[in-house]
Amino acid sequence: MNGLKAAFRAELFVMLYSNAARLLAVLPAIAIVIRAIVVKLGENTQQARASLTGGSSFDSAASVNAWGHLVDSFSIGLTLLSLSLVAYSAWSFANDRDNGTLRHVIIRCTNRQGVVLVKLANIFLLALCALVLLAVSAGVITSILWDFGPIVEDGYELISSAEIRAEVALGLGLALIPLPAALAFGVLVSVSTQSSTQAVTTALGITLAVDIFKAVLGDYAYYIYASFQPSLIDQSYLGDVSRLVRGYSDVMIDSRMITLNEWVPFPQMIIFIVLALTIVRLRKL
Amino acid sequence: MSTTGKKDAIPLQVKNLSKSFGDIEVLKELNLEVLPGAVHGLVGLNGSGKTTTMECILGMQTYHRGEISVLGHRPDSLYQAAGDIVSIFDSPSLHPQLTVRQTLEHACLLCEKPTRTPTQVEAMLGITQYSQYKIRHLSLGNRRRTSIAQALLGRPSFVILDEPFNGLDAGGVDELLHMISRLNRDEGTAFLLSSHQLPYLEKICSHISVLHRGKIAVSDHVSNLFNAQHSRLLVHCDDVVRACAIVQGMKGVEIEDSSYPGLLTLQLDNISPALINQKLVEKNIAVHELVREKPSLETLFQAVVATDPLPALEVEI
Repeated sequence: MNGLKAAFRAELFVMLYSNAARLLAVLPAIAIVIRAIVVKLGENTQQARASLTGGSSFDSAASVNAWGHLVDSFSIGLTLLSLSLVAYSAWSFANDRDNGTLRHVIIRCTNRQGVVLVKLANIFLLALCALVLLAVSAGVITSILWDFGPIVEDGYELISSAEIRAEVALGLGLALIPLPAALAFGVLVSVSTQSSTQAVTTALGITLAVDIFKAVLGDYAYYIYASFQPSLIDQSYLGDVSRLVRGYSDVMIDSRMITLNEWVPFPQMIIFIVLALTIVRLRKL
Repeated sequence: MSTTGKKDAIPLQVKNLSKSFGDIEVLKELNLEVLPGAVHGLVGLNGSGKTTTMECILGMQTYHRGEISVLGHRPDSLYQAAGDIVSIFDSPSLHPQLTVRQTLEHACLLCEKPTRTPTQVEAMLGITQYSQYKIRHLSLGNRRRTSIAQALLGRPSFVILDEPFNGLDAGGVDELLHMISRLNRDEGTAFLLSSHQLPYLEKICSHISVLHRGKIAVSDHVSNLFNAQHSRLLVHCDDVVRACAIVQGMKGVEIEDSSYPGLLTLQLDNISPALINQKLVEKNIAVHELVREKPSLETLFQAVVATDPLPALEVEI
């Protein structure tokens, strides 16, 4: 146990001085801040044009509401974060094996399986930091540029702020559940491949391939953790929440989908971790 | 276990180790033992299985048969020795984004009880001036020094070094040899060194093992190995034919070569060159020069390899 603790601290030490980890933690937050500013500038242009032509509509009322922008920020930030975290987790173990530093930890601190668990724990910690940064920056930038409030049309409140908040929380929670499985997948690829370059390209390649093919899998796609993640071809509930909080849709998620979203990623994460632990025990390091 | 107890434990025992890559058997029933307080050199040709042996010992490779015990621990649980076993690899295995100081602080985190500070080991290895340099900006030699420095933060009982002299300049080699002998003498640290640099090993090692064709062909104390070898004597004289006739009857002398004019090569076994000189001069043979070639690791190694040479490389033209 002491060895695991020492290995965890040592891994954390290296991560704190790693430019890749630092960049990964701040990149999604920076990206959504820049995007929000660009969107706001675009909206101001549209509003100026609309006021010149005398037009005002439900659309402009919806775009002034911060909730839609907040959900979009989360969705885009999580897409970027999950892709970069998969790449990082694929790179981490393989890179340490390439440069030989893995051997020091195995000889002095813990066994091979311990190293994989320590890597995974540190990547989870990094993901948590990046998520907190993402959430804070999304909240701050949207509240600065837009106003939070209920969706109102012709004086009638279509969706209250409390309802919106509950749906955003549900969408965000469901979108985060598959993230540990994605990270475990990255580590599995990292442990299985011959070099860090091969690991990163394989992990990203498979992630993007699943993203492309999940649309043609029909209902079978719901048995893949990636279907519930915000992604380039987004099928997650967070994408639906974006339309919901703008008043464009009133279709909420059904209980079957919630159950699948909650329960499919977890066993897949366990399978990935068990496979990674088995492979690392047998292979040459 | 007390520190003294750890130093007395057998650092390494390898029994009947076998390892194959597909159909190619790299290690065949290999046996190796490193005694407490020994500086043990492992030599062998390229492809003889040195690195595979090291990797099996350090738990980086699985093996098919045999037993390995490193200070009483199996290769897959060396971490249980709590820093008593450290290794320095053929390539400096360091994080390139860290500075030298950060690398040593990182090693302190890995080391259960560091007994030296980063400042002390920097001074020991002469890398104080590079303390704030990133590893990626260092020369190979200084990277290797940093790699050695991080291994010395604790007080290991057994140090395994794979090709430790690679990338070091002459001064660096001397410092490393000095350090190995000092740690061995003052702290009783046992070493296993794998290297192609036979003269360096000859200077430092108490024991030598020659690995050839996946087996330990020779393994013993250096003095025993050298005593078992005949020393050579080159006699530059006027009349080689007559000189041959004189030395032929002498006990402990064997003629190795007399085909060159003016040069007679002899193998000596416990006989002084002065006696041969005296005999030749007494018979009025002018001796211009006597050159004694002492047994060396290189001659021993060549002798071992020559008994069973590796097959020549097949080159397709």
